[in-house]
Order: sequence, then C-alpha cells, then structure tokens
Amino acid sequence: MGGSLKDDDSATDSDDLKGDLPNATSGVFVEGEKVLAYHGPRIYEAKVQKAEIRKNEWRYFVHYLGWNKNWDEWVGKDRLMKYSDENVLKQQALDKKQGVDKNQKARAGHTRPKVSTDVKLEKEDSRNTGTKGKKRKGDIEVEKEDDAQVGKPVKIQIPPTLKKQLVDDWESIIQQDKLIKLPRSPNVDTILSKYMEYNSLKDGSQGMTTDQSQEIVNGLLCYFNKVLPVMLLYKKERQQYIEAVVGDVSPSATYGAEHLLRLFVKLPDLLGKFKMEEETLIRLKQKLNDFLKFMQKNQSTFFLSTYDVSKVYEGFEKEEDD
Amino acid sequence: MKGLNGGTLRAKEEPEEQEEGMSAHSPCKKSPSSSSSLHKEQSQVEVEVKLLQALEIYPLVKLRGIHRHFVLFGLTDYLQRSFNRPFSPSEVLQLLDRFYNLEMLQPDDDDCELLNQEEEFSLPQSFFVKEEP
Repeated sequence: MGGSLKDDDSATDSDDLKGDLPNATSGVFVEGEKVLAYHGPRIYEAKVQKAEIRKNEWRYFVHYLGWNKNWDEWVGKDRLMKYSDENVLKQQALDKKQGVDKNQKARAGHTRPKVSTDVKLEKEDSRNTGTKGKKRKGDIEVEKEDDAQVGKPVKIQIPPTLKKQLVDDWESIIQQDKLIKLPRSPNVDTILSKYMEYNSLKDGSQGMTTDQSQEIVNGLLCYFNKVLPVMLLYKKERQQYIEAVVGDVSPSATYGAEHLLRLFVKLPDLLGKFKMEEETLIRLKQKLNDFLKFMQKNQSTFFLSTYDVSKVYEGFEKEEDD
Repeated sequence: MKGLNGGTLRAKEEPEEQEEGMSAHSPCKKSPSSSSSLHKEQSQVEVEVKLLQALEIYPLVKLRGIHRHFVLFGLTDYLQRSFNRPFSPSEVLQLLDRFYNLEMLQPDDDDCELLNQEEEFSLPQSFFVKEEP
C-alpha cells in the first residue's frame, strides 16, 4: 500500500511525516541537552543521551542526573520539558506537593512508607515486604535514591597550597629519594586535637555541635590508622613503616601532616564506599573543607619543609653514617 | 535536651527481620513496671521509629567497620533533621543499645576487601597540571 509507514520502523526521511511532527533532522530535544523529565509523580533533571526517530516519533534516551545508569530509559517528548525557569518551578511545585522540599529529597522515600506510632504494627507490615524498604513497588524514589548515594564520587576540594605541598612531597620522595623523618611532631593525634580546640573556639561551627565534629574527627583518625599502610605510603616508605610502626605504636602517633594530607586524596574513595544522605554529605564536606583550611592556616608549623636524604634505611629516628 | 532516659520503655518485638547477617542481638529491655510503659512519651516512640527508619539507610553492620564514625554521624544527622533539635552521637548509640547488642555484630565484610588491597599511594594527574579550572 502506497505511503503506509506502519511497517517501516526505520523512517528517517521527512517527506512521509505529517506536518506537525518535528523535522527529521532534529527533534525538539538534542543529544547532550539537559532537560527536565517526568518520572512517576515527580520531575527530575536529566540529560538526553540519544535521540532517534522510531515509528515516526522522536524518542529520547535519557539519563537522570545523579541517579544510577540503571534508570536510563527511552522516553517520548511528552515526558520531557526544556530546562527553563518556568519548568524548574513546576519541578519544585511537584516536590512540594509530595510533602517534601527539594533538599530533603533523599528522605522522602524513607519517611513515606506507612509509619504508625505503633512500632509493633509496622514490624508486621515490614515482615511481609521482607526488606529494609528498598524495593517497594511503586515507591520508585526509595530505590533510586539508594542507588544514587552509594559509590557516588564525593568531591573534596584541596586548597592550592596544600596541593602544592603534596606535589613537593611526591617530588622529595620519588624524585629526590628522600624520606620523612619519623616520628613526626606534631603527629596526627596532635593535629586532630588541635583542630578540636580550634573548632570549639569558633562560633556555630557550621551548625555542628562539638560532639558531632568530634565524631567526624574520630572518623578521620580511624581511617588514618587503618588505611595508612594500605593506601597512603609510597613504595619507598614501606621499609620505614615496618620499622617505625611496631607493636602498639599507632600510625597516628608516628606520622604527621604529610601523610594526613594524603588521606584527603583518598577520602572521596573511602566515603563513597557506603551510602549517605545527600544533606548529611553536604554537612560532612563542609566540615572536611574547614579542616583543610585549618591545615592550610598552620601549614608552616604542621608540615616539614625539607625531608631527610635517605640512605639504606637503617633505623628509626637514627641517622646512620656510611 | 539530652536524655531519652530509658525508664519508660514498653516491651517490643524482637526486630529480627530488620537486619540481615546479624549474629545476635538482644531484645529490648522491658521496663520493670508495666504501668509506666503506658506513660511513655509519644516523642520517645517517634524518635525510635525514626531511628529504625534511619537504619534503612545506614545498615547496622556498618557501625562496626572502618566507616562507623561517619555512619554514626549520618544517623545523628538524620534524627537531628527529623526533629529539628540537636542530637549527639552518644545519644544515638544509647538509643541503638536498646534494640541491638552492637558488640555482637559481625564486622563488615566489605572492609576486609578494602583493607586487603594494598596499593602504593599515587597523586592523581590533576595535581601536576598547573591552573586546573
């Protein structure tokens, strides 16, 4: 039958299209364009990965920004909107309608399930669904947000002078064959407690109580002691480590600012290993940035300006002559 | 406003379906006088409920691993934002202690994986490039 397009799935020619369909060479949305997309009852920021005509209609393969790739899907133009102020307002309106404001998106899915003040009743319900609320049908947000938070890179900005410190550190050890003399003073323990002193003098401390700040500092200490030998040493420092950190001696008592700073290079990886709410992450990052600024302020007292020339490493704290 | 002091707990079912992989946990401690349990403040129930919700995000087992301080921070922040008042990490630990015996938790397996992969420290390339935008 002449002109029937129903059997032709690969239509790319424009003359068969009706007048109100978009131009064959470009749809309403283009690849790489940032858009707003409906998904369930809400609107999300998304990016068009691919745009194709299928069965005479433009279809767009979108990726929801911040969400796991598993959620990428083909949608029609009815699901998409241009990323304009007007449409962003629509997004916000829907967020409000869901009873939660944009910043609390992460909690929406978790506070929505039927919560009664009768804990016993809730347990009976959850026993049937058998999960921690993750894969509840129809409650898409929960699963989406779960995916979004694990493994999402946590960016931590290291101030430029500290970056330079790390490059100099690399240069001294790798290029010039030097080593940091151990034990260091101030050591990591001291630096962290100095930070807590400094922190208690400040007003407000980014809305964090002393206890909470202390918990974060404890977290850094815990990481440092556990991962120093695993991921914070250059090969050339291994022998020194084996000799310096023996018995009960902790890395945090032995090493100082130089190695603590290396921890911050690894922090994004470490913090990405478990799930955290977006809001909490933001507060945590603020604190970590504050700590880096503190290191920067004290750069001249905390960091060594020159390292020791290492010979065959003979001993802890001793300089053996040949 | 510290101190959800534990005098007025009411008996709860053992939350065994909540967490997988736990080796043992103790049931909630019962209040000696059952009549006082009737007077348990609404707010205390709400806090406990929120805490259990928070555990959906922050699994108990993580409270034993290397990330435990940050996980505890996350739980604390969750409650703080839920109730719009400060919570302290030790308060949260006390609350958890009512439901779970944290010492009995098996250490996180993921940690073993992480800690067994020894690798040399290296600076990302971006550090060596001048004037990163």
